[in-house]
Amino acid sequence: MRREPAGDVVRAKEMDETVSEFFRRTILKIPLTEMMTILKTWNFLSENQLQTVNFRQRKESLVQDLVLLCEENRASLNDAALLDIIYTQFHRHQKVWDVFQMSKGPGEDTDLFDMEQFKSSFKKILKRALKNVTVSFRDAEENAVWIRIAWGTQYRKPNQYKPAYVVYYSQTPYAFTSSSQLKSNLPLLGQALTVASKHHQIVKMDLRSRYLDSLKAIVFKQYNQTFETHNSTTPLQERSLGLDINMDSRIIHENKTEKERVQRVTQEIFGDYPQPRLEFAQYKLETKFKSDLNGGILAEREEPLRCLVKFSSPHLLEALKSLAPAGIADAPLSPLLTCIPNKGMNYFKIRDK
Amino acid sequence: MELANTLSQDGESRGGVLAHLERLETQVSRSRKKMEEPQSAQAEESALGTRIHELRRLRDKLRAEVKQHQASVKASTTNVESDQTSEITEQESLKRKRENVKAILQAYRFTGISGKLTSRGACVCISTAFEGNLLGSYFVDLVMRKPLQIHHHSIPVFIPLEEISAKYLQTNVQHFLFTLCEYLNAYSGRKYQADRLQSDFEAFLAGPLQRNSLCNLLSFTYKAEPEGQSFPFCARLLYKDLTTTLPTDVTVTYQGTDALSTTQEEQRAAHENLFFTKPLHQVFTSFARKGDKLDMSLVS
Repeated sequence: MRREPAGDVVRAKEMDETVSEFFRRTILKIPLTEMMTILKTWNFLSENQLQTVNFRQRKESLVQDLVLLCEENRASLNDAALLDIIYTQFHRHQKVWDVFQMSKGPGEDTDLFDMEQFKSSFKKILKRALKNVTVSFRDAEENAVWIRIAWGTQYRKPNQYKPAYVVYYSQTPYAFTSSSQLKSNLPLLGQALTVASKHHQIVKMDLRSRYLDSLKAIVFKQYNQTFETHNSTTPLQERSLGLDINMDSRIIHENKTEKERVQRVTQEIFGDYPQPRLEFAQYKLETKFKSDLNGGILAEREEPLRCLVKFSSPHLLEALKSLAPAGIADAPLSPLLTCIPNKGMNYFKIRDK
Repeated sequence: MELANTLSQDGESRGGVLAHLERLETQVSRSRKKMEEPQSAQAEESALGTRIHELRRLRDKLRAEVKQHQASVKASTTNVESDQTSEITEQESLKRKRENVKAILQAYRFTGISGKLTSRGACVCISTAFEGNLLGSYFVDLVMRKPLQIHHHSIPVFIPLEEISAKYLQTNVQHFLFTLCEYLNAYSGRKYQADRLQSDFEAFLAGPLQRNSLCNLLSFTYKAEPEGQSFPFCARLLYKDLTTTLPTDVTVTYQGTDALSTTQEEQRAAHENLFFTKPLHQVFTSFARKGDKLDMSLVS
């Protein structure tokens, strides 16, 4: 009886069928328009090899040709995992990302982050706990790293088709993870991150979105980058405030002062910069019913009401910004809506104090 | 002939006498006309003459008026221009003064810390530099309230802003800004050195430069002579003090299995010392210069 090699060890002579299949399915995911770009970014198949392939043929045949080339090059599982990471980087919006915040103990020494140490420590912790796990890394810009984890169990090989992704920027307390379907592995992932990055604690933030770059802008506080300096050429007062009140001289606005007030208040709260992109804000209410009317059935109710209010939009914060100028809501908006980027939250639990 | 006819025929010349008188009458009227013609012509002449005089007079009058008007217009425009030019020079001088003040305010960023008052409070700009090179600028927008708050900023997330503001923001704003300035300048300086090494001295590196966000841990394998016989050393630089641009810990090691000869060991120790005392890119500049010296010696 042949012993099954553990984890991601590949047989030297020919590519494992499962690896071959993994390649096939990964390459098949890539849209034809992006195929060349992604393969070049991957940089595994040489320029000459790519030239031998006909990129105009039917996708299935193209994929077959590419898989054959990978087999020729003795591509390993790790190479396939790397290709998967690159695909995900190009299609990061297809995943929903959570944000975790780590903290150090008080009076910690300076963070001397060593990327190689981090990677080996992270991998070691996961492998010690789960024999069957595939961990792959890809360095990214701004001293960040993308980590891909395929989870297995004691007895089962890792499932390459449901990986978790972690994006970590070195020497920051934040990690972004793609919501994995295998929630049971989350504590282990948290532990690996914390220990490898020399932090003490990790907490899941109430912040979630498909737009990884917006999440980064929110927690790194990079979304408002307009500053007043003596070098700026446009004085603040002259900037047009969205609604051009004097577009047509034949139109007289009766409530001009109110419109201007709304514009001013909106600008103070939301600023002039493009808002970070979120798709929803969720409020879980557990409050007693409050009513101006005396009496009524609900007013007498002692137990708090439980309900969920969810605001959805292709671009929630821009939508909220346009509510008051459009006349749909009063300005200023409720602080529960306007605090979202500042607090770094888009899930709220509201209870009676 | 008629006269002769009328005189010769008596009987028949009565008509002749009347006719004669008629003739004489017509003669007289003709001569009178002739006499009158020059008179009327003269009269006409004199009338025309006077008319000419009149017209000339009128023309001269109008000419004079036009000249006068032109002169007065010129006079008035020159008056206006002179008023305007004095206005312009005043405006210009004010404009120049304003430009001057603006330029001075803009130049303040070269001092390292500059700021501008805002409706909320102030926006402080920290401009970093290293070895006379102007590097990035970072902003902190402060809200003048009790307690003093930071409205928004462009400080990188890996700089311990929360720590520094917790210590100094409320008690000593100056110290807060100076400390932040220290951290940012040191970070910019370290980053500058790492960037210079990666870009200018690629030939000396045997592999990629390992770094992190704060540029306070640098690890690389290098050769002091890129094409020479020298063997690669591994250097590991730690900058435990985030306010400095020189490392606090340096380890230079040899990756090979054989032991180092004395010269090699001397070189290793010398390199370690160099990394401690000189900015990173300057160390490599000196390696490059030594290389040049060697070439020179070979030539001569």
